[in-house]
Amino acid sequence: MSEERERGASSRRKRFAALADKNLVIDYKNPQLLKNFLTDRGKVVPARISTLSARQQRQLTKAIKRARMLALLPYTSG
Amino acid sequence: MATAQEQPRGEVWSLSSRLNTKREYESVTVLRPDTNKPQITELINRMRKMFGEFGGTLLKIDSWGMRVLAYPIAKQRKGIYLYWRFLGGSDIVAEFERLMKLSDRVIRVLSFKVDGDVDPDARPSEVTEELLDAVSEPGPDPDELARQAAEAEAARRAEEEAAAAVARRHDDDDDDDDSGRDDDDDDDSEEYE
Repeated sequence: MSEERERGASSRRKRFAALADKNLVIDYKNPQLLKNFLTDRGKVVPARISTLSARQQRQLTKAIKRARMLALLPYTSG
Repeated sequence: MATAQEQPRGEVWSLSSRLNTKREYESVTVLRPDTNKPQITELINRMRKMFGEFGGTLLKIDSWGMRVLAYPIAKQRKGIYLYWRFLGGSDIVAEFERLMKLSDRVIRVLSFKVDGDVDPDARPSEVTEELLDAVSEPGPDPDELARQAAEAEAARRAEEEAAAAVARRHDDDDDDDDSGRDDDDDDDSEEYE
């Protein structure tokens, strides 16, 4: 069963393959980039799926929360 | 012990920061979509005056134009975004945000510290009169832009369709010789005559 779960996650990870780069600059002023890391309901995609490093994921959640305060990103959608 | 009131304006009140340095801050403000140019200019001038009083420097100001908000704020669906970057002491952000909130044009203000221990002489201001004039422009309405884009797209599609229809008719004309598709039109008409 865990194997099955792994497979599911790996297919969901694919869409982040091109984005998750070590040098990715994560900034609240770039909502277009951050949008890629939100689910269609506006939730933050977990690191398990986004394949970001722990450090990047911390930067990401911070950036998303800042962008939300400025109405650049939604708190909820869909 | 010194109280806040005794602190001179515009200084960084922190034992860990170096002497005679400032902090660099950035701030994003969202204005009502119906704000016009003179109102934005007035807001900017009020801020510049405050920077003068508080020993701050406005390093940079940028307009992101009018954007559709991700959710309504103060019953507004759109907002004009202004991005500010400035140097100042510990008290500058509080004053900046206080003045912003006093203005009835501003619906959202958010400020962050970018850097500490900045030597103010090493960071010249990029602000010029032309720049101020340019950022005072509220910018085009996104709804209007979307409408224009849709119209252009529709026009392009109509044109394409018309071209395709002409080509189709042309194909019908010369049924068999597809390969030599471009004999001149005179020939074709003669054929039919």
